[in-house]
Amino acid sequence: MFDHLILGLTAALQAKQFLFMIAGTVIGLWVGVLPGLGGPVAMAILIPFTFSMDPLSALLMLASISVGAAFGGSVTSILLNIPGEASSAATAYDGYPMAQQGKAKVAMGLSAGASLAAAIVGVLILMFASGPVAKAALAFSPAEYFALAILGLTVVSVAALGSTIKGLAMGALGLAISLIGIDSILGAERYTFGFVYLLDGISFVPVMVGLFAITELISMILEGGTIAKAGKLEGSLWGGFRDTFRYPFTLIQSTAVGAFLGMIPGIGATAANFLAYSVAQRSSKHPEQFGKGAPEGIIAPEASNNSCIPTSLIPALTLGIPGGATSAILLVAVTLQGLRPGPMLFTSNPELIWGFFMGLLIGAVMATILYLIMIPWFALITIVRIELMAPMLLIVTLFGAYANERNMMDVFVAIFFGLLGYFLRRHGYPLISLVIGLILGKLAEGSFHQALMISDHDYSVFFLRPLSASIFALCLVLVLWPGVKKRLGHGGAEVT
Amino acid sequence: MPSDARVTAYRLEEFSLIALLLLFFIAIVAFAYTLPFDARLFPLIIGGAGIVLTLVIALEQVRRRRVGAAAVVDEDDPVTRADWPRYATALLSAPAFGLLFWLFGFIVASLAAMLLIPLLMGYANRRQLVLTAVITVAALAVVAPYLLNVELPQGVVGDWLIDKLALRAG
Repeated sequence: MFDHLILGLTAALQAKQFLFMIAGTVIGLWVGVLPGLGGPVAMAILIPFTFSMDPLSALLMLASISVGAAFGGSVTSILLNIPGEASSAATAYDGYPMAQQGKAKVAMGLSAGASLAAAIVGVLILMFASGPVAKAALAFSPAEYFALAILGLTVVSVAALGSTIKGLAMGALGLAISLIGIDSILGAERYTFGFVYLLDGISFVPVMVGLFAITELISMILEGGTIAKAGKLEGSLWGGFRDTFRYPFTLIQSTAVGAFLGMIPGIGATAANFLAYSVAQRSSKHPEQFGKGAPEGIIAPEASNNSCIPTSLIPALTLGIPGGATSAILLVAVTLQGLRPGPMLFTSNPELIWGFFMGLLIGAVMATILYLIMIPWFALITIVRIELMAPMLLIVTLFGAYANERNMMDVFVAIFFGLLGYFLRRHGYPLISLVIGLILGKLAEGSFHQALMISDHDYSVFFLRPLSASIFALCLVLVLWPGVKKRLGHGGAEVT
Repeated sequence: MPSDARVTAYRLEEFSLIALLLLFFIAIVAFAYTLPFDARLFPLIIGGAGIVLTLVIALEQVRRRRVGAAAVVDEDDPVTRADWPRYATALLSAPAFGLLFWLFGFIVASLAAMLLIPLLMGYANRRQLVLTAVITVAALAVVAPYLLNVELPQGVVGDWLIDKLALRAG
């Protein structure tokens, strides 16, 4: 093991790799800040340029984009309530109220501290747990995957703003939208009505741009003024960075949630982001402060999404199963270099694998330094007049929706979901449940059908396997618990 | 807007949303019936669950209305403070931009948005406005094709004009 670490460090510390990592991190920070244009888009655009690179440089540059985007995504969540990355969406819940109180720098310091600590832990888990965890994930049957998808939806719906029933209805809406397109089991067209655009389903990027960016823009235009209501910035960046470590329980808990969910293919950083937020809220001594600028509300989502990214590479590198868009693109890059992902990669290319792991570790530190250097400039956005910023954001976000697939229809889809999202949010429907439903839709349906096929259409398969039965029981407890608690007279503070 | 009218409008909006959701879930179930069994099973479950959940939400709203639940409109809701031109600007900016983007392309739509939206929101410093608009659009016009490799569309009308005037390169 020690030999591998030295081998990896030697490979990653070469000047060439360092330059590619800096370039990747800066690109990642930049695209992370732009709503709609996330890390996977930038990685996909740059894949053709990696042909001529050596495998380690290519992988490190692409992975640095992903790490940088995860850091950068929190900037717009905090400053504008518009997540630059889907995986930073929950950061906005408390980051934006903090920015409104003029504490944008503190919020970003918290985000940097949590991101750095969690990213380092995530990479260490990736290094030391790749083999054993991949074996454990193999033991998960489709019934468990389906149960996990439902658990993800339930947790988010129960903990989201507004009523649980509205949250569950939004989850069902997200799942229903994910049904549009060609069905993955039989290849049947569903709900396309002859539109070629709908064959691949509703693209995720325009929906996110609409639900988060356009919805927020509408509110911003209605509000006017500046984002920081005081019109000035208080608090220090380093103070925020230090404050992160005053909440060790939240930091460790959220890092663990992100790291665990990252290992399960299909769950991804976005779901981890929201789950960690709701878990932190439930375990907090002051849950009523969540949504009003609670430091734990920033630490939890940022720690989870940054620990999730490295661990999502575990099934990708060891089994060839991508956990999400980022690991899928990295797998494409590995394949384009003539390599085959899988257990053999660890024995045939230890320099590449361990160099990559060490590079991720160095990349996390590098991303934090660059992020901290750039933060004072980012924070100035909150005192710019909304009258000037709103149209600028409108054109950048809708350009992001267009640029993803170069399709005009994506712009209209983003606008539609923006207007729908505005009215839904105004009436207390948690948009996040809709997004989680959409993300988990394909996984839920795929594993649902696989479980039925394996069991010869015996529906009891979901309830007879101990693990899936336990997960479903947990879902039931989560839905029923608030009502039971109320009846027992232990109401307490309402979870928002 | 008087308070009563505001509450009525809010409730109307609430029930319209519920109706829209109900309609959507009914459509999911209805259009699933023509599909093969394996392709329709999951839609039927999700659509069915959606219908039940939406009906529960509707019943809850009716119950709240019957018991005369306290003010449903949040006083912090910016809509309550915004006048109708600002409300219209907020709701129509994105669709209008989308329409202009489709018809006349990104540059024209962006310039129009950058110049008109601030004016409609009451921004007075026109010099700063024009400067910001020109710099923003020029920056995007350079960044998109050269750094992101995204050709900016000229729009339906723009393409027609380019073809008509034989301006297309090559």
